[in-house]
Amino acid sequence: MELFERTEVVNALLARYGVKFGIYKNNTFHEQLFPFDAIPRVIDAHEFAYLERGLKQRVDALNLFLLDIYNKKHILRDKVIPEEFIYASSGYLAQCEGVTPPGSVYSHISGIDLVLGKDGEWYILEDNLRVPSGASYPMIARELCRRSSPRTFQAVSVADNRSYADLLKQVLDHVNTGGLTVVFTPGRYNAAYFEHSYLAEKMRVPLVTGSDLEVENDHLYFKDYSGRKEQVGAVYRRISDDFLDPMTFRPESLIGVPHIFDVYRKGNVALVNAPGNGVADDKGIYYFVPKMIEYYLKQEPILHNAPTYLPYYEKDMRYVLEHFDSLVLKDVAEAGGYGVVFGNSMSASQKEDFIRLLKSEPRRFIAQEVIDFCDLPILEKGEKVERKADLRAFVLSGAETVVWKSGLTRFSRNPDSFIVNSSQGGGFKDTWVLNQ
Amino acid sequence: MGVKSIENMDRLYWLGRYSERVYTTLKLYGQKFDSMIEEGAGGYDEFCRSLDIPNHYVSAEDFRRKYPFSPDDPNSIYSNLIRAYDNAIELREEIGSDTLAYIQMAVYELNKAAASQAPMIEFQAILDDILAFWGIVDDMIEDEFTRNIIKVGKRVERIDLYGRLRVDRVSMTREVRRLTGRIQRTGLRYRLQVIDNLNEMVSQPQLDYPAIVREIESILL
Repeated sequence: MELFERTEVVNALLARYGVKFGIYKNNTFHEQLFPFDAIPRVIDAHEFAYLERGLKQRVDALNLFLLDIYNKKHILRDKVIPEEFIYASSGYLAQCEGVTPPGSVYSHISGIDLVLGKDGEWYILEDNLRVPSGASYPMIARELCRRSSPRTFQAVSVADNRSYADLLKQVLDHVNTGGLTVVFTPGRYNAAYFEHSYLAEKMRVPLVTGSDLEVENDHLYFKDYSGRKEQVGAVYRRISDDFLDPMTFRPESLIGVPHIFDVYRKGNVALVNAPGNGVADDKGIYYFVPKMIEYYLKQEPILHNAPTYLPYYEKDMRYVLEHFDSLVLKDVAEAGGYGVVFGNSMSASQKEDFIRLLKSEPRRFIAQEVIDFCDLPILEKGEKVERKADLRAFVLSGAETVVWKSGLTRFSRNPDSFIVNSSQGGGFKDTWVLNQ
Repeated sequence: MGVKSIENMDRLYWLGRYSERVYTTLKLYGQKFDSMIEEGAGGYDEFCRSLDIPNHYVSAEDFRRKYPFSPDDPNSIYSNLIRAYDNAIELREEIGSDTLAYIQMAVYELNKAAASQAPMIEFQAILDDILAFWGIVDDMIEDEFTRNIIKVGKRVERIDLYGRLRVDRVSMTREVRRLTGRIQRTGLRYRLQVIDNLNEMVSQPQLDYPAIVREIESILL
């Protein structure tokens, strides 16, 4: 296909537009290009309709869970989830108790990571409900691929993914309490700064840092150059909960906005995504998501988790110890491909140390069967080779829940690795959802 | 876009200044590089003096390599281009990805030139990128304030450099006139007296270059 021959052209255009991500190596910040592979992941309309139903169901249940957990806690009262999984989670924020965000939406943008198993089943690997990133990469890649090979898109009817910024803006408008919508970035030394600035550009809204915002009389304002203040009604914040407000969370945060959480608590601004969502995308809570779907929606889960064990439960601990070498173990507090170890890759002493740690802190880890997921072809020096790849689907929740007809397909460039994260050297592909 | 932060006003202004600084010093360096082909060592001390930058180069070759390419030399063309980039990268939503791309490409071209045996050929691409950047600022940026702030930065830098390089009266007068017409349409807080003084200075029979430099450097409040 003509497009594949133009991979280098598309990568040159991505470089031209500064499509990068940031990474810290030895405490020094580096900007790196995100290698793009022009062979897309293709999902036909029928398969996507199935994924769409499953993803909407999952995100709706997660939103109901967050509403419940910070308010009436029915799911704990009914003992569907043990209390300690909530209160021991680093993502649980006591400050969010009794606070209902505008529109009762907590996870406005959900990044759900899936893989396609060799058995033909899609498996959910992870829910990202805090500040999931990655939508901007396939957005701009599509634009550049269409420019590089228009004939490809004449020949294949692919759902246009370039409306992501419009979908996002609709979500932000839906929850806006009155005033400006802004994208709030920690600054250019954040790993996803390209995305922050690109989405602000495409939504035509200001990109702001903490020093541009100010709280006065229980409202949030943007200060312009002349000293004029304009009220802000929705903040698409790309800064983690910890650093959002030094008066409520980490007092040493210099990048947050003092008292912004008070404004939010009083319903005078929408924070997108809502603070406190970390309790629902904790790797330990992941185990319970199918139960949430049954509990809140009275439905069978459409999409399945990878088979997961909680060493917290004695029965699961026994299984994990017996099948240690065939499992992948994940530290629930880590993200970005860190804190992931494969049982069969450890030396005898490493294994011994790990098991000791597992027994002393069983709540800290989950264990999963290693899903033998499908490889996807990538181009390497002009030749097609197979590599592991996942899919991050983006689900947007505003007036309704919608699944973006695309997604970020990440792949490992290392033939022996299952880890696809950009921070670990992975690349990305566009995700085509066919119209038929 | 209706609202603009103080930080972004500042970044736009300095983006204009640094893009101009790179453009003019690159052209000057090109002339100097050419003359040094025959002259060999020496000659660069005068270049440093005229730009008021410290001459810490130990040889002509040292100057040839470090002045355009050194990331460790705060006065190098590279450092000035990175400062332009550092401002531009934080202005994507304000100036647009298409505009930002020309500064990004200039950075790539300068890195490429550093590895070349004939950097002057590669420099043409950087000059083209900066010219295209100024063109696209006019063509693509809808917000008049945004355009004007970048252009005022560019004019201020040019008057500053022209003052240091003792450029002819016609060129200096043209830049002062352009600045006079533009600066009031930016929202920048500036000293009106400086504009009056500059206009007065370019009408004098002898141009007092050091005084022009002092004036232009004090223009913003």
